[in-house]
Amino acid sequence: MQKFFSNRRLVILVVILVVCFGLMAGSVTLRNRRNTPPLIQQFGDDIVGIAGSVVTYPANAIQGGLSTVNELMNTYSENRELKQQVTELAQVKVRDQTLAKENKQLKAELKIRSSLTDYSTIAASVLSRDPSSWQAQLVINKGSSAGIKKNMPVLSGGGLVGRISQVNKTNSIVELLSDTSESSNRFAITIQGTNGKTVNGIITGYNSSTNQLIMGQVTSKAKIKKGTSVTTSGLGGVTPKGLYVGKVAKIGTDDYGLAQKIYITPATNFNEINIVTVAKLDD
Amino acid sequence: MYRLSRLRYLFPIGLFICFFLDGSLSKILANLFFSYPYSMVSQLVVLWMILGVFFEEETQIPLVGFAVVTGICTDLYYSGILGLFMFLYPAIVAFARALNRYYSPSFLSHILIFFVSIALLELLNYWAYYLVGVTRVGFAGFLLDTLGPTLALNLVYFIVLYWPVHRMYIRAMSNQH
Repeated sequence: MQKFFSNRRLVILVVILVVCFGLMAGSVTLRNRRNTPPLIQQFGDDIVGIAGSVVTYPANAIQGGLSTVNELMNTYSENRELKQQVTELAQVKVRDQTLAKENKQLKAELKIRSSLTDYSTIAASVLSRDPSSWQAQLVINKGSSAGIKKNMPVLSGGGLVGRISQVNKTNSIVELLSDTSESSNRFAITIQGTNGKTVNGIITGYNSSTNQLIMGQVTSKAKIKKGTSVTTSGLGGVTPKGLYVGKVAKIGTDDYGLAQKIYITPATNFNEINIVTVAKLDD
Repeated sequence: MYRLSRLRYLFPIGLFICFFLDGSLSKILANLFFSYPYSMVSQLVVLWMILGVFFEEETQIPLVGFAVVTGICTDLYYSGILGLFMFLYPAIVAFARALNRYYSPSFLSHILIFFVSIALLELLNYWAYYLVGVTRVGFAGFLLDTLGPTLALNLVYFIVLYWPVHRMYIRAMSNQH
């Protein structure tokens, strides 16, 4: 031990530690502030991503094959249930089309070009996942060349799953809502109360042991029922309005008993994401 | 010696596959690896490098150099936070090498060294991310939910891959010209 911590080694160790933490702190702040990572990092990521497809594509193909076999097993029972739903859906679909058309006409009448509900989508497939317990991040195979920008919301399986945290030319990184970092799940959301009032707020946290999103500091008097749908409110201007987030699971009070805390069950299982849709607000 | 042996090709190829398998396995088996609240960190890359430490004998693979390159790739491609693994991987490899000198080579001593290395890696990783503010998980949560499951997963990897990789090294080193 005496020999190991000789003067020269100690100095080198301290220098390495300083460089290490300097780099980390620098890249964390850079990532939060800048819209694109430095060019060198983008270039490196693109190269690594392309080289990695040698491994990731076969691995994903095997997964696809296995899950196909798995799905075949319960096709029959699913089919029976789904047939019933399809008949109901047809009605909803027709109504939806009529309303969308009417909405468009009314907008044209009022000379509104586009509102927060007008968005286009970019489909991408998931290449791999960050093997870390501290960051829940996916790598997807579309980047800035496909029109993806930082902070765009990402959907999968019908619900919101996260946001774009880093964009390269040909791939980008998605931070899931289950990520522990502070910025990952701050989405503006809205819930319709039973007495006609709506609750607006943001997602403030994620409870990993129950797999629920938390909407904290709700002081509204609106009565909220369990099972109410939660959607994005479009406030903030990056996220479109009306993206499905999940359902209200339970309502509690915060630590001081002053405000309400609403627990939301997310619509999608964050661990079964193969295809994602990136929502891009029209302008 | 490394330049002449077949390991010159085999080691980087294995490292490459392990690096991307880490990400792919984490994605494909996400339900198993990240079943709340537990999370297992797949560290095939570290396993591959530490097995290199055990089996290289007098071949002398430039492991620290490979560790730096792999660390930079991990930082850039997976986490997006530059500066941790590029120092942590070489440190762990050097640590395993230093420990390996004190023990006679056997399966038990190897699994022990691997166990300690992975534990140290996860601890330093947690500590660094905690200081920088990437995670807010408490220490008890780290021990229970991450360290335990991670060690279990990587020991399974180790037991499955130890003998096949050993045989591969023996073959690769016996046919050198």
